[in-house]
Amino acid sequence: MDKLFVIAIGGTGMRCLESFTHLCAIGMFDNQEIELLTLDTDQTNGNKGKVEELIRLYTRIKTSGTTDGGTPNANTFFSAKLNLHRYYTNYSGTGRENYKNITKISTGSPEQQKANKLISDLFLDNNSVQEFNLAHGYRAQTHLGSMLMYHGIVEAARNIAKGADVQPQERELETFISKLEKAGANARVFIFGSVFGGTGASSIPVIPKALQDFVKIRSGGTSTIDFSKAKFGSTLLTEYFTFKKPDDKQKSTKEDSVIADSSFFPLNSQAALQFYQSDPTVQKCYKILYHIGWPIESKKVDEENSGHKTITGGATQKNPCHITELLCACAAYDFFTRKNGFDNAKAEYLYKAVEFKNNSFNFSFNDFVGSVNKAGETFANRLGAFFSLAHICLSKNGAAVGDNGIKGFIVQCQQAKLPQYSTITDDECVDINDYFKLFAYTFDGSKFIQGWLYQIRNTVLPGTFLFNSKAFPDTAPELNKLDVGAMFIDGKYHWPDDRRMNNITGDRYTNFVGELINTNPKDEQKVNTTKEKFLAHIYNAITISQNFDLN
Amino acid sequence: MESTSAYIISIVTALVFLLLSAFIANAIKFEGGSNPKDPGKRKMWFWILAVLNPVAILLLGLFAFVPDGNIMVIQKYKTAIYIGTGIGFVLYIVLGFVLSKIFKNGKLGHWF
Repeated sequence: MDKLFVIAIGGTGMRCLESFTHLCAIGMFDNQEIELLTLDTDQTNGNKGKVEELIRLYTRIKTSGTTDGGTPNANTFFSAKLNLHRYYTNYSGTGRENYKNITKISTGSPEQQKANKLISDLFLDNNSVQEFNLAHGYRAQTHLGSMLMYHGIVEAARNIAKGADVQPQERELETFISKLEKAGANARVFIFGSVFGGTGASSIPVIPKALQDFVKIRSGGTSTIDFSKAKFGSTLLTEYFTFKKPDDKQKSTKEDSVIADSSFFPLNSQAALQFYQSDPTVQKCYKILYHIGWPIESKKVDEENSGHKTITGGATQKNPCHITELLCACAAYDFFTRKNGFDNAKAEYLYKAVEFKNNSFNFSFNDFVGSVNKAGETFANRLGAFFSLAHICLSKNGAAVGDNGIKGFIVQCQQAKLPQYSTITDDECVDINDYFKLFAYTFDGSKFIQGWLYQIRNTVLPGTFLFNSKAFPDTAPELNKLDVGAMFIDGKYHWPDDRRMNNITGDRYTNFVGELINTNPKDEQKVNTTKEKFLAHIYNAITISQNFDLN
Repeated sequence: MESTSAYIISIVTALVFLLLSAFIANAIKFEGGSNPKDPGKRKMWFWILAVLNPVAILLLGLFAFVPDGNIMVIQKYKTAIYIGTGIGFVLYIVLGFVLSKIFKNGKLGHWF
């Protein structure tokens, strides 16, 4: 079994990683321990902070006792073990704020200074590109970004080799790359990032090479990454969102003289794709590249930004999730689970289409992960089960409005004579509740806050998205009335509503509770702790209730 | 003969009330959260019907199903109804307890 690695680069890469983490939570990566690296220039970026918090929450849910991050399981929620590593290029210290300072153009002999300036001016605009503040990323200046990202990683390797001035983020990068190096030919590395923006677009072409050089420098030339054996894959994600155009006033300051302009994103995407098609390094390093895009009008991500300024990065950059990001996560699923396609000398390009009708897309389960080995049904079963459990936690047990959520469900299990889960602590239940809030929804006072799945579904409307539209209520009274066993469009996957001796009204939830009493975790799920057994037990009961043909 | 009728009225009424109580318990949906009220509601309805059960036996026995006959027969019948009311009350509770233990993991389990 190959060892899996994921690298998320830039704001878009972080949001793809968010979708990937949710795929792990629904249980799509059985028996896997996955190494994750977040890579950005902007350590305060809101998207980065959000996904890192999500992964930490995931890890806390998996953790039991002294086993930090838990162990990999199978056929259950939160089945994969995730190890988070964080690295960011440091542009915050004195002399590191912009290209001119970081490259020390104005140092050395007059001759050197002259040569430095000439070569810099040849490639990079003197007044703008060389002087804008790098703390918020490369602002769609990919020619500058590629060079600086490569420089950042190589600089980290040199610092580690020297053993001096090693920053904590450089240590985390080293840990990640050491695991990659150790996995050797068994490593599968998938990279998330866009090709139309700044940091991701700058980094995707150079990352494999930068990692290879990192290994070489740190080992003093004794070790390397062999691109003929290592399996690198990535998404070629073209533009799918827009934001406010920067005005002249905002661009008048030197540090903001360069701001990414989303009206150029289609052009950037085109140029990037041409580059990827012809660049020999990209062709050699990557085995598979997934073309993903949004061929209809892009959604504005800053409609709620009442200010006049374009948000260039920082903590305020927290964009809503989009279905293309979920598709990128599904591309990673394909890359990690495929049995062939890694023997090509050149990168292979993969893409697929989705039904487009009445000016909107209609997604079915097979559109996400394909139908090989019943992957579509497996995805549907697991996402549906997790979504139902989210509703049980957030609405039926009130976690979305501040009630005790999953703890209430555990108490109900106890009353139904399943007392074995009562040792799960309140703090552990709070973590599970918080995860479901990020996954589905919550309330801030009376205001409904959409979570990941609701945001994803919003980008597809009025097209269809996997579940019945009634599965997505957004008011408290509607949520209270929701039938958590009737989420799917196809009624054959609804939980049974048979009238029985002990359920004469045929209530689906009552039948589910009955199913819960009659099932148990199984050995092949590899669950050891009480929390793991609890999640596996619910997974089994919902899976039986949904009645997908998974064999 | 009239006494037998009185006991039959008591037993049938008790069984009907027990059935009604089971129906109500089943119709009350599971509630979640830190303070679920559904177990309490089931228990409350069980005991409301437990109280109404003897009242119903008495009303039915003394007004709806009074047999034709002399005063001795009526007196005997009334005595049987009073005893039957007690039997019906005890039967309702005993059968309720047994059912609650049989379906201890279900909604009827909330009765006791």
